[in-house]
Amino acid sequence: MSANTYDAIVIGSGISGGWAAKELTEKGLKTIMLERGRNIEHIKDYVNANKDPWEFPHRGGRTQKMIEDYPVLKRDYPLNETNLDFWANDKESPYVEKKRFDWFRGYHVGGRSLMWGRQSYRWADFNFEENLKDGIAVDWPIRYKDLEQWYGYVERFAGISGNKDGLAVLPDGDFMPPMDMNIVEKDVAKRFKDIYKGARSFVIGRTANITVPHNNRTNCQYRNKCWLGCPFGAYFSTQSATLPAAAATGNLTVRPWSIVTKILYDKDTKKAKGVEVLDAETNQTYEFFAKIVFVNASAFNSTWILMNSATDIWPDGLGSSSGELGHNVMDHHLNVGAGGTVEGYLDKYYFGRRANGIYIPRYRNLNGDKRDYIRGFGYQGGASRDGWGKNVAEMNIGGAFKDAVTEAGIWEMGIGGFGETLPYHENKITLDKTVKDKWGLPVLAFDAELKDNELKMRKDMENDAKEMLEAAGVKNVHTYSSNPYLGRGIHEMGTARMGRDPKTSVLNGWNQVWDAKNVFVTDGAAMTSAACQNPSLTYMALTARAANYAVEELKKNNI
Amino acid sequence: MNRRIAIRNMALLLGGTVLLPSCLNSKGNKVVQLKHITLDDDQQTLIAEIAETIIPKTSTPGAKDLKLPEFVLLMLDDCYNKKDQLQILEGLTAFNNLVKSKFNKDFANLSIKERESFLNDFESSAKQAQKNSKSTDSINAFYWAIKQQTVFAYTTSQYFMTKQIVYELVPGRYNVHVPVKKLKSA
Repeated sequence: MSANTYDAIVIGSGISGGWAAKELTEKGLKTIMLERGRNIEHIKDYVNANKDPWEFPHRGGRTQKMIEDYPVLKRDYPLNETNLDFWANDKESPYVEKKRFDWFRGYHVGGRSLMWGRQSYRWADFNFEENLKDGIAVDWPIRYKDLEQWYGYVERFAGISGNKDGLAVLPDGDFMPPMDMNIVEKDVAKRFKDIYKGARSFVIGRTANITVPHNNRTNCQYRNKCWLGCPFGAYFSTQSATLPAAAATGNLTVRPWSIVTKILYDKDTKKAKGVEVLDAETNQTYEFFAKIVFVNASAFNSTWILMNSATDIWPDGLGSSSGELGHNVMDHHLNVGAGGTVEGYLDKYYFGRRANGIYIPRYRNLNGDKRDYIRGFGYQGGASRDGWGKNVAEMNIGGAFKDAVTEAGIWEMGIGGFGETLPYHENKITLDKTVKDKWGLPVLAFDAELKDNELKMRKDMENDAKEMLEAAGVKNVHTYSSNPYLGRGIHEMGTARMGRDPKTSVLNGWNQVWDAKNVFVTDGAAMTSAACQNPSLTYMALTARAANYAVEELKKNNI
Repeated sequence: MNRRIAIRNMALLLGGTVLLPSCLNSKGNKVVQLKHITLDDDQQTLIAEIAETIIPKTSTPGAKDLKLPEFVLLMLDDCYNKKDQLQILEGLTAFNNLVKSKFNKDFANLSIKERESFLNDFESSAKQAQKNSKSTDSINAFYWAIKQQTVFAYTTSQYFMTKQIVYELVPGRYNVHVPVKKLKSA
């Protein structure tokens, strides 16, 4: 075996790449994980994780310099002082917006597994069936039963805390003990039961924060500083979970600063033989060879790699023979919901910062409900006490005011929606060869938008939020609905979808590229529809399932 | 428990208070060197005195003791865009003129009572007119920016978070129900 030859190549080191590396190395494959950005070492490189709020010069805020340097990141909360180094540099890695698309990326070992929201929900069977039922896009080639055991498998390793709520819309997983609702949330949950009698539910969030020690990881310490990196390894990330497991096999090589520019396709064997890498530090080009390639570069960058590969056979790239590569861009649309104040409970507080909230699973267009749009949405939210006594009219300055700000404020409760986006063929990404990134590589151009179905759904998301909060006894409810743009959910999906037919899909039911059976794409790119649940748990399950299949096929000499 | 103490100590070692470069002026006041805006020592004094009036020294430390004015200046310098900075500077002059026309003195030379009644009057008339820091009128833009940053500085200061409220870097637990004293204002 030459120095650059491995059994398997994994492109990307985020949630799905980490899983691919773990599964493949544990099954005995010598594997190289290629990461385009820098290395981040667990704990050691979480430079801000143990800082107190007052130690940040601007207390976590954003400076004008940061706003100038990050023209995309500034569009939402990710631009902040506390974990700026975890976000991709917008200026080094630009992209073209034919229509506005907010693309928030993490280019480093661990990818966005370091900054993710950690909410982890299984899909239900109907989520896999709806495309077929609605006559939308193409049918998923798999059903819940195909993924069920893999959901359990990844949950048991990742460590998902949650309550077994027994809901048909949101299958229970193999959970660690759930986090607790606070006193106000418990009462709201009770009122939900009385009012909606099970038609709508209000449950504790299911999150990839461990609540009991697990695999040398310490249980969650309720710091709610997850996105700085966790010194306790309490939330699932590549660094805390999959990377140490993969490294322990002795079969893993990690190569940071490795931008995969193309998959090397062999037209005689109709398989990939390896990848070409541009070293991001030296600009040198290298080739790496392997029997199988897992593409986990994050949805749109995985598709970018395919678009740049095998262009001598297919001008639009590997997987483009279906005409679907780059199409069906999806995300979850959000920034719509409601909030209000809760009367009473003034002698009650909580202690600790819970890195989790409550969840209201989808109820629309289910069980006989029929709206003027299809699919639906869920909500995340929670109740908390406001910091200090504002609204104290006669104490606005001076000693009395100073005392008043130390008092706990009133209780507030808010919920925000996450809506399903349909897979529209015309919502697409393409290569723009006229614009180059820092390394001279062509960039992606985005041409995707929310359409009528999503915009109608948003009205329900706003009105339902108000109606439910008011029904639950929340007062002074205000609603909001803003930024109807794709990307802000940071749940990019589609552009290399799975399907049953090579004429209408890029991947088969095992995440194999139809046109190169030893190439597997198992990140968000593979998604055939979006559902409204946070997607990462499904990527984990798809990846573990595909890796298992890949190794079996390899043993049978089928790939 | 040991682990939590260890983490806390590590944090104390790693973190140092970040102070702005500063020097002393002829009157012995600290003058902060700013990068993007220029404020002479009278202007800096005005901001410091407003901050001290909002969060005064009582039986506990006040704005100046806690170096809140330095933080307010840092935020004005780094976190506001050019347009807002210009408006705030304009508002500072207008604020100064308003005080002078009323008392024939600088804000810094007013008694504590005069300062408090001036700011209270200012706030109530601004609230009646529904003016705030996003207001187009520069005097309100100035005052509410100073107030917002002063209160933010106070409520996120080490003193406040460790001595006035319960804060732990590593809580280690989530207690869903902790009884507290009823709100005085409720």
